[in-house]
Amino acid sequence: MTDQQGHLLALKGVSKRYGGVRALSGVDFACRNGSIHAVLGENGAGKSTLIKIISGVVQPDEGTITLDGKQVTIPTPQAANDAGIVCIFQELSLMPDLSVADNISITTPPRRFGMINRKAQRARAEELLARVGCDDINPLTLVKNLPLSRRQMVEIAKALGRNPKLLILDEATSALTSADVHKVYAILHGLRDQGLSLLYISHRMHEIEELADTCSVFRNGQHIDTFSKGDRNDEQIVQMMIGRELQNVYPPKPIRNAPPPATLEVRKIGWDTKLSDISFTVGKGEVIGLGGLDGQGQRELLLALFGVLRGVSGNIVLAGKTEHVNSPAQAKSPAVGMALIPEDRKTEGLMLPMGVGDNISMAALSSMTRGLVVDRAIESKKIAEMVAKLKIKFGQLSDPVATLSGGNQQKVVIAKWLLTGARVILLNDPTRGIDVGTKQEIYQLLRDLADAGTSIVLYSTDYDELIGCCDRVLIMYSGRIVRELDGPEITEANIIASSLNLALTGQAAAGGHA
Amino acid sequence: MSGMQKTSVLRSIDRPTLIACGFILVILAAGTLYMLITQGTATFIEPTYLLQQLKIAAFLGIVAAGMMMVILLGHIDLSVPWTLAASAMLATAVGGPWAIPIGLAVGLVVGLFNGVGVAYLRVPSMIFTLGVNAVLRGLMVMLTGGFAPQSSATPIMKWFAAGQLIYLPVGDGFGLSNSVLVWALISAGIVFMLTRTSMGRYIYATGNREAATYLSGINTKFVLIFGFVMCSLCASLAGLLVAGYTSKAFQAMGDTYLLPAIAAVVVGGTNILGGQGKYTGTVVGTILIVLLQSLLSVMQMPEAGRQIIYGLVIIAMLLVYGRSNAMRT
Repeated sequence: MTDQQGHLLALKGVSKRYGGVRALSGVDFACRNGSIHAVLGENGAGKSTLIKIISGVVQPDEGTITLDGKQVTIPTPQAANDAGIVCIFQELSLMPDLSVADNISITTPPRRFGMINRKAQRARAEELLARVGCDDINPLTLVKNLPLSRRQMVEIAKALGRNPKLLILDEATSALTSADVHKVYAILHGLRDQGLSLLYISHRMHEIEELADTCSVFRNGQHIDTFSKGDRNDEQIVQMMIGRELQNVYPPKPIRNAPPPATLEVRKIGWDTKLSDISFTVGKGEVIGLGGLDGQGQRELLLALFGVLRGVSGNIVLAGKTEHVNSPAQAKSPAVGMALIPEDRKTEGLMLPMGVGDNISMAALSSMTRGLVVDRAIESKKIAEMVAKLKIKFGQLSDPVATLSGGNQQKVVIAKWLLTGARVILLNDPTRGIDVGTKQEIYQLLRDLADAGTSIVLYSTDYDELIGCCDRVLIMYSGRIVRELDGPEITEANIIASSLNLALTGQAAAGGHA
Repeated sequence: MSGMQKTSVLRSIDRPTLIACGFILVILAAGTLYMLITQGTATFIEPTYLLQQLKIAAFLGIVAAGMMMVILLGHIDLSVPWTLAASAMLATAVGGPWAIPIGLAVGLVVGLFNGVGVAYLRVPSMIFTLGVNAVLRGLMVMLTGGFAPQSSATPIMKWFAAGQLIYLPVGDGFGLSNSVLVWALISAGIVFMLTRTSMGRYIYATGNREAATYLSGINTKFVLIFGFVMCSLCASLAGLLVAGYTSKAFQAMGDTYLLPAIAAVVVGGTNILGGQGKYTGTVVGTILIVLLQSLLSVMQMPEAGRQIIYGLVIIAMLLVYGRSNAMRT
């Protein structure tokens, strides 16, 4: 750790829990005046929590925050702003129906006689826009009429208007064009030279190399190391981001001599700007992982396969037959036989106030009817089978599914789809927010299903899970599959390097293809 | 069969229904007391009076039954008043054996239109059906403005509305109006549909969480259209019965049914946001509303006072449900 001299902000022993999850534990972190400080870490490493604590969105459970040498608490985002801490978030905070000038001065508009002084507001907007090199933007344009990259520049101008001492950029350059990126670099370097402290969070390694002078690595809610740029190479940084031992919670994978016959062939799937040219095959009984950073199109890919998205190009072939899937109802039909365990079980997977039994039989109900009438005997038999198979724990079948624990809720979602007898199961981060025991049961279940011939596509934000569960892993980066990792190539180092779209290092690269 | 039926009936008596039942008793007691004091008779609990109320309740009950389908789906149908009026007016204008089919066809068309507007065009149902109501009203004014079509009900309509298939020659004679039988038949059909068929399950599921239902591979658009068609069909049937009862169709005949129908459904314990509610509740709610209206008019309260009490009772009952819900969770 560096010394206390010249530190604008210092955190000592800061911890934060969300329920049973430790988001940050005992973190010491400091940033200097006049520096650009990059924060690195995997998904869930604790970066966002750190930012939220600094900007007053959440309160730490333990630990102290020192600003300018004085111990402070930051109870609200407003207090953070007043103290000169300003955030630029990944999700834009602009109001689309207000003008650029209105947005820039949204919290503290210049006033005259209690009314907004529009002239002063406009002049202020012009000045700030000029500072970020965007004097071409008319302050009176509505934000919704600007392209995304320009909006991000307005966001930066807005942040500068609050006279920050500490500027936090959370993936704030993700939407910029390359011309703007260089403008932003110049602005950020300029701000640093004026003595500001900048915290920079990005998944783009190249950006960090160009911008940052100091880097901190987080992992599992802990601060691992802080070092000056150039002290560590990419490989060492990736190593630091992984750094933990793999636990043996995964069932063994089968050993194959030849690839299994293909169940699902995906051919050149594209959608909007989010997915382009995606082709892969899933064999009978194979577990395919989708990896990469959050939001690189994995979610959209699963929705596209399941027929939820409109205007998807390309096609899919199931067991040799081309199928057009335009709705979940078609995806579910026996001819296709797909199932999707959606991302958010509470809003997309379950009817929370309805009974456990009603939820379990929902997707397969049409196979349990005589005419239009539900055959209750068959229904309760099938529900009982699923409850036993997945060991779902609940009071009564008629209890609202909302009363179950997260793990049991997820089991209900899975049971709902197992009843349809799907031959391809798509899972969108199925173990998020679930306890370790249930996770292990789900891993075992997936492997059992695969052994019984079901094909599985698993998107997970947890790299461990991809390594432990999957026969092959496809890494996505900005809507494309950039790499396929097979068998022994599936290592954390390879997944992280591929996720950041870096070249693979050493021997592991052999066999991997972009 | 009968054993299963019994348990499902028992299960369906949930808290709001019980509270509403209790309130019905309170109304009857208050009415009886008032009559005893002012006139010395217990008119309020005489069978003829109660049968008369049941007859009036049948019209509202049929409208409320349809409205409940739409409310269960998390939507609302404000086009009910003029769907009801348009069906009755067109049926009487056509007359003869085609009167009833034409009236129901109006309901079918309006229901399909509403359903498509909400399910495919994704217009909020409150706005869409409000618009449809205005359009229907305009069309009917056009129809009656240019020339005066026939507006008296056909004999079959009168028979369905006021005839008495069941008549017990005991004492003064107990006649059960056919409209009550129609209501009972529709109620039985809806209970069966909601509790025993997959469509019933899908209606609850869609009302609870349309996205999750859609992602379960269920054609939620079809479910929505089905609900709106049911609602409009019920409204048009009620229109035919009301026309039969009053012997003619007239322009504003549906206006007094919209808010009482919504109130009956909600007082019966159906969640206005959709997804929860038992049909028994809607029946009890209908009877409650009709008795309350009757009590207020018997007491010869001025119109303003009636409206105030009517509104306050509905608000008070919903507050009671809200509290009991909050306490349970």
